Amino acid sequence: MSALLSMQAVRGGYGDADILQGVSITVAPREIVVIVGPNGAGKSTAMKAVFGLLHVRGGQILFDGDDITGWAPNRIVKRGVCYVPQVDNVFREMTVHENFEMGAFLRKGDLDAAYDRVYGLFPDLRAKRKALAGDLSGGQRQMVAMGRALMLDPKLLLLDEPTAGLSPKYMEQIFTITRDVRDSGVSIMLVEQHAKQALAFCDRGYVLATGANRHEGTGAALLADREVAQMFLGG
Amino acid sequence: MTFIDFINFHIVPGVVLGSIYAVGAIGITMVFGILRFAHLAHGDLATMGAFIALSTMGLFGASPWVGLPVAMIFAAAIAVGIDKTFYDYLRDRPKILTVMASLGVALMLRSVVQVVWGVDSTTYQRGIVRPDEYFGILLRDRELYTLLAVATIVIGLEAFLRKSKWGKAMRAMSDNPDLARLSGVDNRHVTMLTWAIVGALCAAAGFLLGLNNELNSMMGWHLLLPMFAAAILGGVGRVEGALLGGLIVGIAEELSVLILPGQYKAATAFVILLLILLVRPRGLLNGKVL
Amino acid sequence: MELIGLANYAIFMGILIGIYALLALGLNIQWGLTGLFNAGIAGFFAVGAYASAIITSPHVAGRVGGFELPIVVGWMGAIVFAGLIAWPIGKVCLRFRSDYLAIATIGVAEIIRLVIKSEDWLTGSSRGITGIPRPFGELDYVASQLAYLGLVIAAVAVVYFLLERQLKSPWGRMMRAIRDNEAAAAAMGKQIEARRLQAFIFGAAVMGLAGALFVHFNRSITPEAIDPMIATFLIWIMLILGGSGNNRGAILGAIVIWLLWSVSEMITDRLPTDVALQAKYIRIFVVGLALQLVLRFRPEGILPEEQARQTAR
Repeated sequence: MSALLSMQAVRGGYGDADILQGVSITVAPREIVVIVGPNGAGKSTAMKAVFGLLHVRGGQILFDGDDITGWAPNRIVKRGVCYVPQVDNVFREMTVHENFEMGAFLRKGDLDAAYDRVYGLFPDLRAKRKALAGDLSGGQRQMVAMGRALMLDPKLLLLDEPTAGLSPKYMEQIFTITRDVRDSGVSIMLVEQHAKQALAFCDRGYVLATGANRHEGTGAALLADREVAQMFLGG
Repeated sequence: MTFIDFINFHIVPGVVLGSIYAVGAIGITMVFGILRFAHLAHGDLATMGAFIALSTMGLFGASPWVGLPVAMIFAAAIAVGIDKTFYDYLRDRPKILTVMASLGVALMLRSVVQVVWGVDSTTYQRGIVRPDEYFGILLRDRELYTLLAVATIVIGLEAFLRKSKWGKAMRAMSDNPDLARLSGVDNRHVTMLTWAIVGALCAAAGFLLGLNNELNSMMGWHLLLPMFAAAILGGVGRVEGALLGGLIVGIAEELSVLILPGQYKAATAFVILLLILLVRPRGLLNGKVL
Repeated sequence: MELIGLANYAIFMGILIGIYALLALGLNIQWGLTGLFNAGIAGFFAVGAYASAIITSPHVAGRVGGFELPIVVGWMGAIVFAGLIAWPIGKVCLRFRSDYLAIATIGVAEIIRLVIKSEDWLTGSSRGITGIPRPFGELDYVASQLAYLGLVIAAVAVVYFLLERQLKSPWGRMMRAIRDNEAAAAAMGKQIEARRLQAFIFGAAVMGLAGALFVHFNRSITPEAIDPMIATFLIWIMLILGGSGNNRGAILGAIVIWLLWSVSEMITDRLPTDVALQAKYIRIFVVGLALQLVLRFRPEGILPEEQARQTAR
């Protein structure tokens, strides 16, 4: 199986200190990979490294045959990686549809198919297409954020804690939609606080601690691991 | 005083003045919202626009209205040029330094006006114009045309911001700059476009003020306070808010003479500014707070 | 004779430079130390000037005053009133980014100008206030000027040493920490607001004192004595060019800019009248341009702030 994304022993941080001390993660085509770990493990930082928001000082990031280490975010976007930040991930004062339009800002030509796809994935939003994104519930806002990112038709979608602050009902819904997105041909890398639920639904998972790989394997295998279970006791 | 007199002596001039403030305040709110700083050279750019219109009129010997589009185009170019020369290199430094630079630009623009056009007051047209009566409301031609011009400008701008791709990009940049950049919006394009529009709006405000009042080198500086009061009252970043805020400030100024000596008209805007910052800093339409 | 004239002129210049140095020091508390944008310096200066004038001048029919109190009381009054005007403005605006303060201070300076121009009972409106006593005024001209220069230098020295002491105290370190780290400042919340308010009021009080020194030097004041925008702007460029955050820089900036400003005035005054007026405005243009150049090429000023290694501010 050839990987779509491959982070190899990546080190780096925002300032002078290295938050990541050698993180290696691969994502295969049509795969959901979850990154979990305790607070301060460098989960979100690892994701931001992929998107060029980090100063990478060691290791390599390969995407779809290109070495994208050190690329600027806008170049990475054009290459087919879209990123959904954890907070402030919609244009609150714009309508749902305008959010999708902004997602497709770099695309030229006919966008009907792209709109059909996102409204197909998020049927609830079709009725709310003229509502302001800021007026939606947290779960629906998360859908708008994902939809916006999908408008560029990425090969890889990066989701930073998409279920943070959502009720269990919406969490399930986001996970279900994430699977649907995968089935439409997109690979997904997501960072999660809700480790148990996330490992249960993903294809493969990574457990990070203090900026380095600790465990990896299929979601089921990780859930069965005693050490992992202990790490997230009560989580 | 009868009701219709009250309308004619206070509300009509207030609405006319307020609509002029609104045109300026829309520009202020756009710079505040999209570029995120208080642009203190706004008033003096309006002065320059008013005088460019005067010279255009002199050149063609025609109606002052010929000067409006010319002044708007020139002021747009001047605004873009000012940004490239004096603001752009401060982009990555604290925004307050750009505020300071804009105060310097205000001084420079004003001294250019004073050198080129002098310091004496002047007007576009001489002579007394009698108002016409419309259902009891007295309105001069120039007042009517001012209201029409403001309506055209606001509707045109709203259409641009709501319908066009780059208008949406400007709103996106005002709403969530990080996400706009993640979506591939080029900050430099948006900045340039914003300055072009803001410059044109400045010229329009200056022209309309000159048309209804008089032109002098300090006219724009005295516009600054009511324009900022209007922008913050409406809610920073909100075009509709700036329109509403402008009208309120204009009417409030004209009503202030009922309780205050006339020379303190200009204090009304200041009081409104402090009050809104005290009780509702997001403004009437829930704008941003920097 | 020529030499004495020159010496007299030098003393005169020295006094004005001292007054501007005080203003620059006041601004340094607000901007250099705390990052507060005061665009209405001339307003606080005018309040100080008029407050001291009213307190110390003899009675005039139809105008409040005639207290003929000692000059020291006038100066205290200048300090207190300038601080009192600053208080509500700071209270409302310091919760927000300094942009709002800039606008509000422009507004307050404008209102002060209106009050001075129109409230005859308080300020004598366009006639102004005359007969303001001058310390050492009974001495002969040269001695009196020299004595006043000594007084101004003493005032600058006192403010300078008080400021230096504050700067090195925990208070000063905290102010710089607030200024340089918005996030940390926000986390400290209410306490920061109080500190900023202190700095804003202190700075305004020093500006008020400068106004008092000016008015007792001049012996009279009218609304035309102060061009708000130009005065404010000159002080800004003094501080930025000298080195904001550095008290010695503020004083140096006052010296350099005031000398350049006066020399250029002498030159433009000699021009034929038809170009003199234009030259006057070109001079103002150059001041505006100078600020842009300093911001661009030497943002830290001639004497940069000592502890700070970063170039911003």
